[in-house]
Order: sequence, then C-alpha cells, then structure tokens
Amino acid sequence: MIAYLVKIPVKAMVTLFAIVTVTFVATRLSGNPIDTFLGDGLTAEGREELIRYFQLDGTLLQQYLAFLRGVLSGEFGLSFIDRRPVTEVVAERLRPSAQLLLASVALTVVVSLPLGVLGAVYRKSWVGSAVMMLAFAGYAVPSFVLAIVMILIFSYWLNWLPVVGNGSFLHFIMPTIAMSGVLIAALTRFTRNAMLDVLGQDFIRTARAKGLSEARVVLRHGLGNAGVTVISVIGLQIAGLAAAGSVVVESIFSWPGIGQLLVNAAIMRDYPTLQFGVIAVAVAVVVINALTDVAYALADPRIRLSSA
Amino acid sequence: MIRLMLTTALALMPLAAAAQEITVGAANMAPYLDPGRDHSNVGSQFYYNSFDTLIDRDHHKLESEWVPALATSWELVEPTVMELKLREGVKFHNGDDMTADDVIFSLNRMIQATFPLYVVRAKDRLGNFTKAEKVDEHTIRIHAAREEPLWETLISLQQIMIIPEKYTKALTGDPNVAEDSDYEAFALAPVGTGPYKVETFQPGEKLVWTRFDDFWGDRAPLERVNVVQIAETASRVTALKTGEADIITNLAPDQLSLVDSDPNLKTEGSATALFHVMIMNQNHAKLKDARIRKALSLAIDRDALNEALWLGKAVVPSTHTMKEMGALHQPDLVTFEYDPERAKALLKEAGYDGFEITYDTAATYYTNGLLAAQAIMEMWAAVGVNGKVVVKDKWSGNDPEMMTRNWSNPMYFADPFGSFGVMWAPNGPSESEGRYNTDADFAEKWERFRFSTDVEARKAAYVEVMERVKEDPAVLPLYRPFESWGMKASVNWAPLPGHIPYVLDFRAGSISLADS
Repeated sequence: MIAYLVKIPVKAMVTLFAIVTVTFVATRLSGNPIDTFLGDGLTAEGREELIRYFQLDGTLLQQYLAFLRGVLSGEFGLSFIDRRPVTEVVAERLRPSAQLLLASVALTVVVSLPLGVLGAVYRKSWVGSAVMMLAFAGYAVPSFVLAIVMILIFSYWLNWLPVVGNGSFLHFIMPTIAMSGVLIAALTRFTRNAMLDVLGQDFIRTARAKGLSEARVVLRHGLGNAGVTVISVIGLQIAGLAAAGSVVVESIFSWPGIGQLLVNAAIMRDYPTLQFGVIAVAVAVVVINALTDVAYALADPRIRLSSA
Repeated sequence: MIRLMLTTALALMPLAAAAQEITVGAANMAPYLDPGRDHSNVGSQFYYNSFDTLIDRDHHKLESEWVPALATSWELVEPTVMELKLREGVKFHNGDDMTADDVIFSLNRMIQATFPLYVVRAKDRLGNFTKAEKVDEHTIRIHAAREEPLWETLISLQQIMIIPEKYTKALTGDPNVAEDSDYEAFALAPVGTGPYKVETFQPGEKLVWTRFDDFWGDRAPLERVNVVQIAETASRVTALKTGEADIITNLAPDQLSLVDSDPNLKTEGSATALFHVMIMNQNHAKLKDARIRKALSLAIDRDALNEALWLGKAVVPSTHTMKEMGALHQPDLVTFEYDPERAKALLKEAGYDGFEITYDTAATYYTNGLLAAQAIMEMWAAVGVNGKVVVKDKWSGNDPEMMTRNWSNPMYFADPFGSFGVMWAPNGPSESEGRYNTDADFAEKWERFRFSTDVEARKAAYVEVMERVKEDPAVLPLYRPFESWGMKASVNWAPLPGHIPYVLDFRAGSISLADS
C-alpha cells in the first residue's frame, strides 16, 4: 500500500515535467503572437521592437531555460495581451470552471448510479430498456446541441432561465446539464454493466441464500463491488472534462472559465497564458488521477492489501 | 423554489430600468483599456465614454464640425505651432484636477514615445508632431515638423486622449518616473475625464461604468452600464430576448429579421467606416505582372457580393474613399470596377497559363469573410482564373508566399490619410511587409496629398495617388460591411455618423431610455 502511494506523486511529477516541456515547444511551433494579435498595420521596425519587448528575440533554447527558471521560482510571466501575471489571470478563471465541473460531476453521480442500478436489476423489463435508450441517446447528443436546444426552449421561448454568466443558482442549471449529458450516458452504462457482472456471481447467490433483503443484496454487495469499476470511470471522466470538455459549454453560456481563456490564448498565441493555463489544467488532471488511484486503493482490497 | 426566484428576478427588472442602468452584451471585451496603445475595433467601443480629447467633433454630423472639449479654444500661432487654451475645473475620475502637465504628459507619451506599444501606434499617424510644451497653467502648444493640414483631426484622435500624469506614474516603481510598467498597469485601471468612470474592469470578460458626477460637460444619462462579453451569437440574441442584455453588438446580417420580428426589440445599424479589402502581393513571383492583378480585381462583382451577403446594405466604393471624409470624399473618382471581359483580355495578354492563385482568409474573423472568398473564387473561375481559398488563422500579409488574402482598412480618422494612408503610405505597414512597393514618384504624390494646406491641391494629388493604385493594384476595397446592434425597443441608441467604427457612445444626447 505504502509503496503504491509513494509511486503516485513521483509519476505525477514526471508527467508534469513532460507536459511543461511539450507545451513550451508546441506553443512556439504554431506561430508568433506578432503575427496574430499584433499583426495588423505594423512596420518592420515596429515588429522588431515588439519582438524585443516581449522577449521573443532569444533562441528557443534560451527562452526555454528562462522559462524553466521562472517555473522553478514560481514566476510564470505576464500575459502578452493584458500584461497581468498569468497566475492571476488563470486563477480568476479556475474557480468558475471548478464550480461547473463539480456541479456536473455531482449531477452525473446522482443520476447515473440509480439509473445504472435500475437498468441492471430490471434489465428484462421496460424499465431497463428505457434506461438504455436514454443512455444511448445521451451518448449521441453532443453538448453544444443539448445546450442550444435547452437555450431555445428554456430561455428563448419560455424565458425561465438566464443564459449569460455564472451569477446565480439558476445560471448553473443549463450549463451543468449540458456538461453532464454525455457523462450521465456513459456512467449509467458502466454502472449497469458492472452491476450485471457482479449480480451474476456466486457470492450474490450466497447473500440471497442467507436471507438478506433484496435491497441489501443489490446495494451493499452488488454496488459495493461494482464501485471499483465505477470509481475509475468517474475519475477518467472528470479528468477528461477538466482537460477539454468545458470549452464549448463555457463559450455558449459566457461562463468566465478557463476553457474560453485557453482557446483565446491559443488563437492569439499568448504563450505565457497558454503555458500556465495548460500547466494548471494538467496539474488538475494529474491530481484528479492521483486521487482516483487513492480512492481505487481504498475501495479495492486487492490493491489495498497487496504489499501488506 | 425556482419559481420564487424567477418571480423575484422578474420583479427586480423594472427597478433596474428605472435606475437608468443598462447591460450591453458585447461579442468581444477588450483585454486592456488604454486609448493610447489601442487601435483595435474591440477597444474603440469603450474609450469615448471614459476619456476626452482636447478637441472633439459633433458626432451627430457626418461632416467634421470641431467643438471644444478639454481645450476651449485653439489657434495657429505659427504655421507649425498650435496653441490651445485648456478648460478649467476639469477633474479626473480619481479626483485629481486636470492640469497643463497632465495634458503635456498625455501628448508626449505618444508624440515622443519610448514605450514600444506607443511607439508603433504613434508612428503611423502622429509622425508629424514633434513635441507638446506648457506655456502657462492653462495654455499649451503642440509643435509640428511641417505645416499640418489636419490639426484638428489629429488632435481629436483616440490615441491622444488625456490621462492623469501623477496617477499613472505612481502605479508602479518610482512615482516620479513614467516606466513601461506604469503604462501596462494603467491599461488595467484606466482613469480619464469622461462622463463615465470605469468601476470594474475584468479583462476579456466584463466592464462596469458608473456615472462620473464631477464631469465637466453634460451629465451622463445613465447611472450604470454593465458590458459583458457574450461571445456566442445565439447566446447574445437569446440574452436580448430574455432581458439579460439591453443592447447587443455584432448582430449577423441573417439574424436581423429574427430580432426585428419581436415587437419588444429592434435593430440599428450602419455601413461601418471600414473597408473589407482584398490584398494582392505585388512581389509574388507569379503576380509580378500588374495585368494579372488587375484582372483579379476586375473579375470581382462587388455589387453581387453586397446583394448576396449583406442584403444590399453594405456600401461598395468606386475608389478608396468614404463619405465621412467631407471635402476629401471623391465619390466620382473610379479606381475599382467590375469588367470581366477586360479581365479575360488582360489574362490572355499576360499569358496566364492557369496556375493556381491562393486567397487566404481566417475562418470567422471577418463577418462573411469566408463566404465572400468562396464567391470570389467563382467569379475568378468565370474569367478563367484557377483560384483556391486557403483558410488559416495566422496573419499571412507578411509571408512572401502569400498571393492574395482578405484584410480590413478601417478609417482611423476622417481623412484619406486615416484610412488609405495608415495602411498604404510609403514605408507604411504594407510596404514594410514586402507585398507592396512605392517609388519616388508615388512618394512625391503622397507627400503632396498629405501636406498640401489647400484642399483642392490635396484632392488633385489623391486622384494621382489612386491612379497609381489602379495601374499597379495591390488592394481592392470590397465593401463597407453593414454592422448591426440589437436592442430593446425602449432604448434610444444608434451608432452616430461622426464616430470611428464601433464606438458605444453613451454620452448625453446619444442615448436615452424610454420610461415604460
């Protein structure tokens, strides 16, 4: 167990270093900020002047070393565009994104687990079929379609829900559902399949033979064991969402989150913001993965007890 | 519970209107607010509410009619020296009194710029000014290198709006020295003398203006204005419909009817003082022959583009001119026309062998940009040109391989110098990007246009300049795009003809809210 836990942060550090390096190189391969947001109407001398001003005049290696020195001392630089420290720019955006992410995960878990269990227990009745229908439909509808349809119905026609920003509880409803749609579909199916696996096994029959109530059999012994699979799926999904999943939804609902920030930074080639933004997201993903590993260890005695 | 919150929210809405507060849903929010270093279409929306120039113009009128702003009077004391009397009792948003020192500081930060982001901005339009100096506490002088025909025009530029010296210098480092970092900090916490002060500014997200009670002029009609970025068009329109926004910007042409069909909403629009243009690389090996570029230009039916893409609401120019330029507007001059037969003949003469000609465009940057590009390829095909649209996000105007692409030429100020000149003057950006050449003859004509103090002489010289453009074309203005804003029926606002493009003017006399 201890050895297993120690490996987690080491793996995380190596991953982060690789990401920092790849981000640095990739951003610079894709073009120059002077050619994007500063490009219009610039003379040759003006161009030179700005390249010097933004410290883009060294070789790639010099810039990389300067960047690494910065990273080690916690200095990630100023955004090329608004000239604020990128740490501040990104921090301001992380909170709304994290809120939306948590809301979506909460909704996903609350809806998917019961649906998955129902789908497994009543797999032969119409209830199970309905659950599967729902899951397939959810898979097939991309988040932006779901978002636009909801906006059309609940805002444009009915005027019940606001579409702009994250000001109140009401603002969370549509973005959360839009973000969760595909996740709910996926997790419902995983839960159902995991439950079907478990419910067919011998110890379930034993539990029933002991005379335990059906609810206890399904929830304690069934879901308890299926939980190991479910946890890893949730972990993967959260990580995926944190990495990329929210860009479209944030853009549609003008959610002041990190997705929109990163897309803009990429278009403008605002290297410092892009680098730190990617690093921040990467850290989030790595931490989520590490936590998933820990949760996995806690849930699965085979891992928990393997080296004890 | 939801129902309760909804009713509460609905009940609050009329109150907000009574308090003279509006919310603007903008497609783009500026990443910084400094009138000096900015000349973008995004930034130009915001400066006029918070900053003043020394001389202003009556923006309700198309013709330039100069009116006193922070200067109450001005006169030429020498052919190259303008003396201005400053208004007394003007306050900045932070409470400081505006002094002659503030004015000199604001002018010289651009005219004698050292901050690189000011240097590049000042070079193309303020190059003839050498310095500003203080005469006494209420009098200043601006010096020019040569006689200047455009004094008022240039003094009313957004780039030399007046900012506070002490406040700016004290933002970072040594409070008595103007460091680059002071200017960078200013752009995040801007202070001016205008009728609205910036209460909150979140770069790229949100801007809140509140009425500045010590404003020297007419009291601002609104108490509070929230500008929120709503990037997605569908969301902007919905926000207008739900009442989350009172005005929305950048309404696409195909959505005008959607908004207009709602009795509670309306649209306002105008042909923006900006050209979408096609540029052609004079120095590309395959386009060196002017006849080929002429043919590419003659083959394009711009009126058809206007009808198809802009419902006929855009304006197609016959030369690089705009009616805002007043006496310098020359609508009878024909530099650009549609003549497919001549295009075919020119291609034949030049021995065009069917090689591919690329046309670069970004996917979404210019409204209808990609559609126009595709239509132009069809028009080229009709005269036998093998054209190909290349979609790329990167600016390729400085790439020697670029053959043709789209671009825009905004009117930065109401003179051909402020539109054609900023982009195409000798040693300007187009020439230094290596896709456009000028020679001594062109420079002489340009100088005569730029500096003649007689209007007729300037007009005649501009005709000669345009003749050169026609002979060896590097640019074709396609049209002035039609820009629209959507708003509640109770909001009385429209873009004013005397502004540069996109200005959201909420000053007294420019906006009012009907009581409902």
